[in-house]
Amino acid sequence: MATVQNLTESRVLTVLDPRGQPTGTIKSLSLGPRPRSLEGKTIYLVDIGFGGGFEFLQEMKAWLAQRMPSVRTVLTRKPGIMFLDAPDLWAEIKDKGHAVIFGVGG
Amino acid sequence: MATGRFVDYLERDAQNQGLALRFTFTPHPLVGNYFFLRQYLEGNDPTTGRPIMEGVIDALTRPVPPAAERKPEVPKPRRARLLEPDSEENLQRLFIENGWTDGLPIVLPTEERVADMLRGTSHPPDEVVGRMTITTLQEKLEYTVEKVAINAVMAGAGPEHFPVILALAEMEEPSMPSSTTSFARMMVVNGPIRHEIGMNCGVGALSPFNLANAVIGRAWTLITINLGDSRVGETFMGSQGNNTNYNNMCCAENEERSVWEPFHVEKGFRADESVVSVFRGWSVINSMGAPNQRGAHEETAIFMKSFAALRSSATLVMDPLVAKGLKENHGFKTKSDLRHWLSKNVKITAKQYWDTDINRAFFITEAEHGVEPFATWWKLPPDELFAPFVEPENINFVVVGGETNPLWQTTDLWHVKSASIDKWRPRKPIPAKVRMPVPPVDILCSDGTCEEPATSASAGCSDGSCESPPKGKGGPQ
Repeated sequence: MATVQNLTESRVLTVLDPRGQPTGTIKSLSLGPRPRSLEGKTIYLVDIGFGGGFEFLQEMKAWLAQRMPSVRTVLTRKPGIMFLDAPDLWAEIKDKGHAVIFGVGG
Repeated sequence: MATGRFVDYLERDAQNQGLALRFTFTPHPLVGNYFFLRQYLEGNDPTTGRPIMEGVIDALTRPVPPAAERKPEVPKPRRARLLEPDSEENLQRLFIENGWTDGLPIVLPTEERVADMLRGTSHPPDEVVGRMTITTLQEKLEYTVEKVAINAVMAGAGPEHFPVILALAEMEEPSMPSSTTSFARMMVVNGPIRHEIGMNCGVGALSPFNLANAVIGRAWTLITINLGDSRVGETFMGSQGNNTNYNNMCCAENEERSVWEPFHVEKGFRADESVVSVFRGWSVINSMGAPNQRGAHEETAIFMKSFAALRSSATLVMDPLVAKGLKENHGFKTKSDLRHWLSKNVKITAKQYWDTDINRAFFITEAEHGVEPFATWWKLPPDELFAPFVEPENINFVVVGGETNPLWQTTDLWHVKSASIDKWRPRKPIPAKVRMPVPPVDILCSDGTCEEPATSASAGCSDGSCESPPKGKGGPQ
C-alpha cells in the first residue's frame, strides 16, 4: 500500500534555480608599494566609524609613540559614514603619509 | 583592521574587489569593551595567534610581490537554468538546506508554475530587471523577469501579484541588508491594484491573514535571499535578525478612509497609478492605548524621543481614526502641518543625541569639520534640549487599519523608494483567484458614532476586495 511519503518521493520534479546570475569579472588590483621600515615615516590611523574603533586607534597611537618614537602618526576620522568614499582624505594621505591603517571594522 | 568575527566576510569582500588586502584582526567586539582596548592591542590576533602590532607592522612593511599577489581575471561562471530533477521531498530539503528559503516550506518553482506566473506581466522572461546585493560592496547578482517569477512562485504568489513583485525587484533594494544591526522593513501599496489583487488595508492589515499581503511581502525576502545573495553568517550579519522580514510589514494604504492625500500622491504619483513604496529602519513602537488624555501627536513626540533621529526619519502607520482625530480635533489639516509640528516639538538633550552610537559614528566627523547642524549640536551643553528631527519632509505618514480603535505605530523607518507598478502589468488583467473573507459591517463604524450605515465606499476596503460588506453581522470588537 502506498504511503504519503513514498507517493511524494516517487514523483520526480524539475525545478528552476532561484538564484541570481553572477556577472562580474574580478579585475585584480595591486597593493601599493610598502616602505622598507616605518622609521621616520608618517602613518595615518583612519577611524572608519564603527563603535570602539577610534578609541582602539588612540591606543595604537599611544603604543607607537612609546615603542616607535620616530614614527609620526596622524589619527583622524574618515568623513561621512563608513560606507562612503572620501577622496579628499585619500589624496591627503597619498601626499603626506607613507602608510595608512584603516579600522576597525566590526 | 577588523574584529575577528569578520575574517571570512572580509576575505570574500577583498576577493570581489580584486584586492589581496592585508588585515590584522582584534578580538570581537570592540564596541562596549573600552576598558580592554589596550589589552587587546598588546595581545594577539585571534586568527593567527601572532601579536597584533607585529602583524600591523608586517602588513605595512612586507614588500608586495606583484606577481604573487595578483590573480588573473576570472569571469564568474553562470548558473544553469534548471536544477537536477528530484522528488518533491528532496527538493524541499535541498532548498532549505541550501538557504534558498526563509526557513518555511516553499512552493517548488516547476517550469509549469513559473510559466503560469509569467502570465502576470507583459514583459519577456529574459528581460533583465536589475542587480542586487545585500552588502555594500560585494558583487551584485543579475536577475531577469523569469528569476523574479521563480521567487514569486516560491513565496506562494499568483500571477495577479506579479506586477507588484516585479516593481519591488526593479528597485534593487534588498529587504535584508547585510548590516549587523538587523534592519526592519515595511512596504506599502497604493492605487487601484490594492483592490484588484485583494490586498488588506483595513482590519488586521499588518497581521497574518491576507494572502496578497503575505505572499508579496514574503516574495521580497525570497528575492533578497536568492537574487541578493543573502547567506546567514556569510553575507547577512544581522546579530539578532529581524522578524519583520518574514513579510516586511507588507500592507496597502487605506486611501478611502484617510482624511489626507494618499502616500503615493504625496510622492508625486497620480492617484490612479498603482505604486509600491519601501521603507527601512529599525524600530516599531505600537501605541499602547488610544490618544485620550494626550493627542496622538503628543504621544508620538514621546515615542520619537527614543529614536536616533537619523536622517530626521520617522514614519507613522496610523489607523484612519487617528488621522481623522489629528485633523478634526487637533487642527492638523495636512500631513505637512503634522510633520512640521513633530519636527519642532520632539526634543532631546545633546547628551542623549551624541551618546547614541550611530549618531556619533555617522556625524561626529561632520561636526568636527563644521558641517551644520552637527557642528552646532556638538557644541551644545550636554543637558540642553534641541530638536533633532530637522528635516520635516523625512517624517512620513501612512494610513492603515480598520477603525476598531484609534491606534498607530511610530517607527524610525525612512522612505527609501517608490516605484510604479503599472508598467509591469499584463496586457489582459488577471483577476485574483482568492476572495478573502469580508469583515462584518458593524466593526466598520469608522468614526465611532455609528449614525449611518457604512457603504462599501465609505467603509474603505478593509479586506481589499471592496465588495459591499454583508450587513448586520457581528458587533463591535
